[in-house]
Amino acid sequence: MSKARSPRKKSSKPQLRRKRAGFWRFLFRAGAVGLVLLAGWMVYLDAVVTSRFEGRRFEVPSRVYARPLELYDGASISASGLARELALAGYRAGDGVRVGTYQRNGGRFVISARGFRFPDGEEPRRRLSLVVSGDRVQSFSVLAGPDSPIVRLEPAQIGGIYPSHREDRVLVRLEEVPELLPKGLMVIEDRQFYEHFGVAPLSIARAMLVNLKAGHIVQGGSTLTQQLVKNFFLTRDQTLARKGNEALMSVLLEWHYEKDDILETYLNEVYLGQAGNRSINGFGLASQFFFGEPLKDLDVHQLALLIGMVKGPSYYNPRRQPERAKTRRDLVLSEMAEAGLISAEESAQAIARPLGVSSRPSYTDNRYPAYIDLVRRHLARDYRQQDLQSEGLRIFTTLDPAVQNAAETAIRDTLPRLARGNARDALEAALVVTAKDTGEVLALVGGKDPEFAGFNRAVDASRPIGSLIKPFTYLAALEQADRYTLITPVQDRAFTLEFDDGRLWQPKNFDSKERGDVPLHLALSRSYNLPAVRVGLDVGIPQVQQVLRAFGVTTPISDYPSMLLGALSLTPAEVAQLYQGLATSGFNTPLRTIREVTDADNAPLSRYSLKVDRVADPAAVHLVQYAMQETMQEGTARSAYNLLPQRLSLAGKTGTTDQGRDAWFAGFSGDLLAVAWVGRDDNGPTALTGASGALPVWSAMMAQLPQHGFSPVMPDGVQYHWVNVQEQVLTGEGCPGARLVPFITGSEPRQRMDCEGQFGRQIRSWFEGLFR
Amino acid sequence: MNKTVISRAGCLALMLALAGCATAPGGGSIYVPRGAEERTRAPEPPRTSEPEQDAEPPVWRKSEQPDIREPEAPATRSPSYRESGDELPAAAVSLIRDADQRLRQGDSAGAIARLERAQRIAPRSAEVYFKLAEAYVEGGNLGAAEQFTLKGLSLAGNDSRMQRSGWLLLADIRRARGNVAGADQAETRARAL
Repeated sequence: MSKARSPRKKSSKPQLRRKRAGFWRFLFRAGAVGLVLLAGWMVYLDAVVTSRFEGRRFEVPSRVYARPLELYDGASISASGLARELALAGYRAGDGVRVGTYQRNGGRFVISARGFRFPDGEEPRRRLSLVVSGDRVQSFSVLAGPDSPIVRLEPAQIGGIYPSHREDRVLVRLEEVPELLPKGLMVIEDRQFYEHFGVAPLSIARAMLVNLKAGHIVQGGSTLTQQLVKNFFLTRDQTLARKGNEALMSVLLEWHYEKDDILETYLNEVYLGQAGNRSINGFGLASQFFFGEPLKDLDVHQLALLIGMVKGPSYYNPRRQPERAKTRRDLVLSEMAEAGLISAEESAQAIARPLGVSSRPSYTDNRYPAYIDLVRRHLARDYRQQDLQSEGLRIFTTLDPAVQNAAETAIRDTLPRLARGNARDALEAALVVTAKDTGEVLALVGGKDPEFAGFNRAVDASRPIGSLIKPFTYLAALEQADRYTLITPVQDRAFTLEFDDGRLWQPKNFDSKERGDVPLHLALSRSYNLPAVRVGLDVGIPQVQQVLRAFGVTTPISDYPSMLLGALSLTPAEVAQLYQGLATSGFNTPLRTIREVTDADNAPLSRYSLKVDRVADPAAVHLVQYAMQETMQEGTARSAYNLLPQRLSLAGKTGTTDQGRDAWFAGFSGDLLAVAWVGRDDNGPTALTGASGALPVWSAMMAQLPQHGFSPVMPDGVQYHWVNVQEQVLTGEGCPGARLVPFITGSEPRQRMDCEGQFGRQIRSWFEGLFR
Repeated sequence: MNKTVISRAGCLALMLALAGCATAPGGGSIYVPRGAEERTRAPEPPRTSEPEQDAEPPVWRKSEQPDIREPEAPATRSPSYRESGDELPAAAVSLIRDADQRLRQGDSAGAIARLERAQRIAPRSAEVYFKLAEAYVEGGNLGAAEQFTLKGLSLAGNDSRMQRSGWLLLADIRRARGNVAGADQAETRARAL
C-alpha cells in the first residue's frame, strides 16, 4: 500500500523582505489571495471527487444470466449435465449442507441451493434431494426450506455488458456483507476509520517513523478514505502534490458523506486483481473471481485472504503466489484474533485451512460471445447502450448451458472430419438451437471457434437456403387439398423455361436423373428439384412467397422461378425462425433470447413474453411434417440415424447450393429445433451437401441431449388412411404396398382396393365432410 | 363480456385440477435419453460397470461405423403422430395453481410469468395454452388470448372434453372481440362434440 505524508497547503508563496508595515499588509494580502486560491482549488477538487464518487457508485455493468435450471420430477437432464450446470452456477462439490455446495453419489444429488431473487419473486434457500436416472430427475424432494414440487436454481452468469473501461462490479451493500469483513479491514488497514476526518496524521507519523527506521516502506498510513480516493484516480505517480490532493479530497469526501457510505463504496471500489484486460474491483466481484461464491457465503479464512490482498493485489495474488498469499492471510487472521474479532481457536482453525481459491476464475470474459452478441442486438431495440453499460441491469436470457455445450462440441468435433487440408481449414459453420414450442434461443454458435468473438455467422451470414425452401412450396400446394395430397403424382421430368427476354432456364436434379411420376411425399423427402419447381410454378410463385412471408421471411423474395430452388438468402437464425412455424404445426413463435430485464433492484423493466400466431392451417402443416419425418427415416437425411437412436423420431430437411457452397440442415425433435450451416466465408465451393456437411453437425449436437421424439398431435381435419400409393387407392393395413398416410379430411382417395387387388367403392360417412 | 369468459375459464380450471390428478393414458412423446438404443444397431461393446459416471457424450468414430450401418430403413418405421397432447406433470400443475391464485388477485402479469414457466415444462399440453388465454383475457389482450386458444386447440387432439372447453373459450373471446360469426362457428364446433 502507498505511503502517505502529512498534507500541506499547496500554494507556494514568495516571501520577500520589505518594510515592516508593508510586510504585514503584504502578508495579509498574500494570505487572502492564497486562501482564495486554496478555496478555488478545494471547490475544484470537491467537484472532481464528488462526481467521481457518485459516478462510481452507480456505474455498474449489466449482468447477463443463463436460463435458470428448473428441477422437478421428470425434468430432462443427465447426471453429468447437472454437475456441469451446478459448477457453472458456482456450486462446489461438498457436503450438500453448506449453502452453495452439493453432494453427488452416482445419480443421487443433494444440493444446498442459495436462493435467488427472480423478477417474478424470490426463490428461497433450500436443500434439495433428487436422483438422476435415465436422464431424468426422479424422487425430487425439498429437505429443508419451503416445500415445492418445482425449484429453480439461481442462474449462471454468462456475461456482462461492460463500460468501455472494462471494469466489472458485483455491488454489495454494507448491511449484506459479513460483519467480519469491514471489521477485519479496519484492523488491518485503518483502525481509526470511524474517528478520523479523512486523514490520520498520527498514523502517518507513525508509519513514517517505522519506514525511516526500516529504511524502506513497510507501513502505509493511508486511511481507507485516502485509499478510496487513490483508487478513483489510478495513476502510478507518487508526487507530493498528488498526495496532497488525495488528502484534501479525502477530507472533502468525509465532509460530504457518512462514514458508512464511504465504507460501502470502498468495499465496492477497491482494486483486488486483474483478469486479462479487466480489473477486478470490489470485494463482491473478487469473491466471485477468486472463490466462485457470493461474498455473503465466504468463510473466515477466505475473508482474511481478501482483506490481506488489499495491500498488494498482484503481489499477493493467490493463484500466482499461493505461498505469499497464505503467509499474508495467516498474518491477517492472527491480527484479527489479537483484536478480538475472532477467537484464537477460530484463527488457528482458519490458518490450518488451504486458501480455498477456485482453480479457474469464475468470471472470465464472456463465454458465449455469439450468443451475447445476439442478446445485445435484441437489447439495442429497447435500451440505450449507455444504460446497458452503467445501470447494473439484470438480463435474464434463454441460453441453456447444456445445449450450448452440446452445440459447441458438435461443431468442434465434427467440422475437422468433413474435409482435409486447406479445404478443411476454410470450412466454417454455424448452429442455432431453439426450444421448439417456445421460440427461445437455447444455443448459438457463430463459427468453428466458439470462443472467438468475431464474425457471427449465425446471425450475419446470409446465404442461399437451397432446398430448405421446398417444404414451403409443398405447403402452399397441400393447402389446396382438392388439388394436392401427399400421394398426388408429381412429374420428375426435365423441362425448359423461356423468359420474356429469351433467356432459358433448365433446372436439374442433384443427380441429374429423371424418374417420371413420383408421389408428392417422396418428391419432398428425396428432395427432387424438378417436381419442386413444377409444383411451385403450378401453385404460383406469389403463393409460395406468401407462405414464406407468413412464416417470417422479411427480406425481399425473388420473383424468378429459381427462387423455388432456394435462391433466397437467409441467415441461420432466420431459417430457425422460418422452421419454427413448421415445427409447431403452423404457429409462428418469435425467436427470443431474453425473458426479462430488471434494474439493479429487481424492478421489472421489460418482459418478452411468449407469443404465438397461427400462420398456416395446422392440417396442411401436419402433412408437410409427415414428409419431413420421412426425410429422416428414408430420405436425404437418413444418415442422421447413424448417430442418433432409432427411437427418436425427428423431422427435417437438407439443403445444398451449387457446388456445395452452402450445406444446410434444418430439423426438429419434440423439444428442440436446430439449424446447421456449413460452408466457406469466401463462398467457395466444397465437396459437401446438406446431408454430408450440415447434417453430421446437427446430429452430433442432437445425440448429446436427452429429448422427446417428434410426434405431432393430429390436428383437426386430418385423417390417416392406409393407401396404396402406386394405385392411388385406399387399402387395408398389411396389404402389399400399404402405407399409412395423413390426408386432409375429404381429400383421401375414394376407391378402395383389397389385398388381392380387387377394387371396391368406399362409402363415405356423412359426417366426415361436415366440417370441411 | 369478459365475465362469461372468466366463468367458463373457471370451469376449465376445475377440469384442469381433475386432469392434473389423472395419470397419463399412454400416448405422449417418447422420451429418449442420450445414446439410447445405440446398441441395437451395432454389437454391444464390452462395457465397464460404471453407471453413467460423468459419461461423456457418445463419441462418433467413423472408423467404427461399418458400411452396413446405412441400410434402408426398416419397413415398419413410419412417420410418427399421436392423437392427444401431453398430460401435465405435477410441477406444471402446481405452477398453474399458483397462476390461478394470482389471476384471482387480478395479477395477470404474475400469472402469465408462472404460466410461461409451466409452458416450458409442458409445451405440448393444451391446458397450459388455454390457461394463458385466460390470463390474457384478464389482462385485456384478447388478440393474444385468441391465438393461445387456437394453439391449445391444435394440441387437444381427440380429447373431446378439452376440445369443447377450447371451442367455448374461443367463442367467448371472439364474441368479446366483436367477431360474432367466428364466435358462432366456434360454438357450433363445441356443440357438435
